[in-house]
Amino acid sequence: MPVYIDISRCIGCRSCEVACQRVHGGSGHINVHFVGDFASVPIFCHHCEEASCTMACFSGALHKEGDRTVFDVEKCTGCGLCQLACPFGVVRANKIAHKCDLCEGLAEEPTCVTTCPANALSTDFELASRRARSRAARAAAHGGKR
Amino acid sequence: MIKVDASLCLGCLSCSNVCPSQNIVRTQTGEMRSIHWKRCKEECDLCVEFCPAKALTLVPFDETVPEPDVSFDLVACKICGSRYATEPMLRRIEAVLPANLQKDSEGLEWIRVCPVCRRNIEAERVTRQMVLGRSRKSP
Repeated sequence: MPVYIDISRCIGCRSCEVACQRVHGGSGHINVHFVGDFASVPIFCHHCEEASCTMACFSGALHKEGDRTVFDVEKCTGCGLCQLACPFGVVRANKIAHKCDLCEGLAEEPTCVTTCPANALSTDFELASRRARSRAARAAAHGGKR
Repeated sequence: MIKVDASLCLGCLSCSNVCPSQNIVRTQTGEMRSIHWKRCKEECDLCVEFCPAKALTLVPFDETVPEPDVSFDLVACKICGSRYATEPMLRRIEAVLPANLQKDSEGLEWIRVCPVCRRNIEAERVTRQMVLGRSRKSP
């Protein structure tokens, strides 16, 4: 399952970047962007349902497997069409494509998720909205003040 | 030997990546990408097989045929101006993606934007959403 982010929790420590690089031999697939003083946002593959990178890939190296967008290195020719087809700029190609593989075969859970000290990343789609609901409930219990 | 149909070539460098004997030479400056096919005697057709545009064919070796060269002006990102892709590659993306995916939620034609700016736009969009969400919670 893809990784989801609750950016109101991200503290911008870049631990996810380091963890990803460590697991993937030095070239990571997640980058923390800083937007002014407002926020830090880890940017990584969404594993889109309608994945443009898989539509652009002519060799079948990038393809969907269930809800994951997976990459078969044996079939990649390094043409870079996937990189140009990704709306979020998160598929990289430098002689060979590389993108988030959700740590398949490398770890039980995506390493960015298990590493994040702020619990901003998770594989649970519902988690962010459950948190928002419980924050609202706590606020209501304290007379509307937070 | 390899024959190149320059009108089909995307300039993607697949052929150069898969060539086992480095017979396909790439040169890239800030604004141009050039590909040069050396006259090769191999009967190997890896590049032919892996060309996304089917622009290459294997032909018998002939010393008199000049070595093919193809050059592309790199397209500038419409936001930051950095040169990031060849025109035929972008056209190809525009041809394979359904029209509804070619504009983002704010109507931006993102294919003409470089990957670096795409990441920045995504970070800014997510931040706006969060800030909006906060102001909605505490008016």
